Amino acid sequence: MSKSFTRALELTGQYAGLIAFTIFTTFPFIWATSVAISEDPSNIWLFPGAFLPTDPGLMWFKRVITDIPFKDYLLNSTIISFWTIIFTVIISVMAGYPLARLRFPGRGLIFIGIIATMMLPSEVAIIPNFVTLKHIGDFFEAAIGYKLIGLNTFAGVYLPTVAGAFGIFLMKQAFEQIPQDLIDAARVDGAKELQILWRVMVPVSAPSIAALAIFTLVNAWNEFIWSGIVLTSRDKYPLAVGMFNDLTGPFAVSTSMVMAGIVLSVLPVLIFFAFTQRYFISGLDGAVK
Amino acid sequence: MKTSSYTAIAYLFLAPALILMGVFTFWPVGYNAYLAFNDYSIADATATWNNFEHFKYLYGEDLFHQALKNSLLFLLVVPVIQVAALLVAKLVNNKLPGMTFFRAAFYIPVITAISIAGIVWLNVYKYDGILTWFLQSLGLIEEQVNWLGEPKIAIYMVMIFTFWKGIGYYMVLYLAGLQAIPTEVEEAAVLDGANAWQRFWKITVPMVKPTILLCTLLSTIAALKAFQEVVVLTRGQADTYTALYYVYAQAFTNFNFGRAAAAGLVVTFFCVLLAIVQFRFFGEKK
Repeated sequence: MSKSFTRALELTGQYAGLIAFTIFTTFPFIWATSVAISEDPSNIWLFPGAFLPTDPGLMWFKRVITDIPFKDYLLNSTIISFWTIIFTVIISVMAGYPLARLRFPGRGLIFIGIIATMMLPSEVAIIPNFVTLKHIGDFFEAAIGYKLIGLNTFAGVYLPTVAGAFGIFLMKQAFEQIPQDLIDAARVDGAKELQILWRVMVPVSAPSIAALAIFTLVNAWNEFIWSGIVLTSRDKYPLAVGMFNDLTGPFAVSTSMVMAGIVLSVLPVLIFFAFTQRYFISGLDGAVK
Repeated sequence: MKTSSYTAIAYLFLAPALILMGVFTFWPVGYNAYLAFNDYSIADATATWNNFEHFKYLYGEDLFHQALKNSLLFLLVVPVIQVAALLVAKLVNNKLPGMTFFRAAFYIPVITAISIAGIVWLNVYKYDGILTWFLQSLGLIEEQVNWLGEPKIAIYMVMIFTFWKGIGYYMVLYLAGLQAIPTEVEEAAVLDGANAWQRFWKITVPMVKPTILLCTLLSTIAALKAFQEVVVLTRGQADTYTALYYVYAQAFTNFNFGRAAAAGLVVTFFCVLLAIVQFRFFGEKK
């Protein structure tokens, strides 16, 4: 009897802890959701009643979509994230392959150089990169009449971030685990290095590439400081910048609308997370080892 | 295989990464050091040499001192978040119904943009917000408090936000560490009559020690670099400047790039110092 009693007590304790901590991590969102779907804003500051919606409806969401260029921000976030992922994956795969499987002079030094960047505070690069982008933008504007890469361009947001130690390291680790026989067999069949990379290494490492793409997406989607500095016109803002500026600025007066804006902003990430959850654990797992 | 035949192809494959890193990662470190000794004018993009003037200024400025002090104070988050993350990881490592849900719930703050999460917390911290209500109903406070406006407490409020936002990340790292422990070890300890507390101290903690070291270093670096939470919560008001927020504000509010670069160089110095300690620490293990 005592054994099953202890077990029941243990279980109750565990679930109590889990639920308490769930409340801690989710209460701001639960409150935001409740306020957002309450058309009547009278008791949003009256707790605990504020956690239950009063007069439920979608009015505030409609207001966000009509009053704030939410859809434009969403599109900008999508474009920026898309190119960030494409370039990050290509660059990391290309750089990871020789570091993992080819012998060449300077390999050790290059690898140490790349890994060493993990130790530097990347925030310090913000000022020089801002200056560099201004120069590059001016250069292109003078040469071709168009700021190809520069301040207030999407490329200016994603290009400085796409070559990073994390992605290169992750792909190097993945490529190192592939059996040499597979590569040798391809070489015997007369495959060139690019074919080996594309036909052998990439398909076998698909799970690692997926993990890299997912991490890159979440980082690019949530990135806030750098895009806020590079992008100067409102119609180019991604969600994280545009919603922050609008909801702490002109629309801050209506808490209901602010909360509806937050719920709408968090929703895409939540939906994405629901489908890719297991990669977050396995991906981080791989990065640590 | 011959070495020489692969050299060209290796460098060709590495070229995009090396060029981009060269321009946007390596060059900035050098250029930042150069800017630290110059006055930079954004209007005509010119730099004029001015020796150690920025450093002299920083040495004598109270705001910068306070920013450094706050950055060190931020290290208080490290032990708290690490202990909590390990305990939570232990809790979600059990195979019980609903565990996927709980893990997801703890990870949501991590995947939420800091700007968006910041706006919710601005409301949590309002003087008539949830925090005030919660502490009032527990009988811990009587008056309403302007949590982000009071100089003595605002920085701790920023730290609580950091804790809330980051704990899920470390939880996942610890979870990975815990899952590497063979179940037999724990089962054997149960048979030997070890209670939960003993098992935690004698088995779990020693077995995840490498993860504890890694996470502690990661969160120490993160704490020293904290500034985005200041941007979204207080904009430096109520004595909440951190070292990197100082850099950010000097550059993009005051447009004093030289002074910002000098302050950035000081932060870089601390980070490199920490990195050397880290290498020593991990180097000995291997």
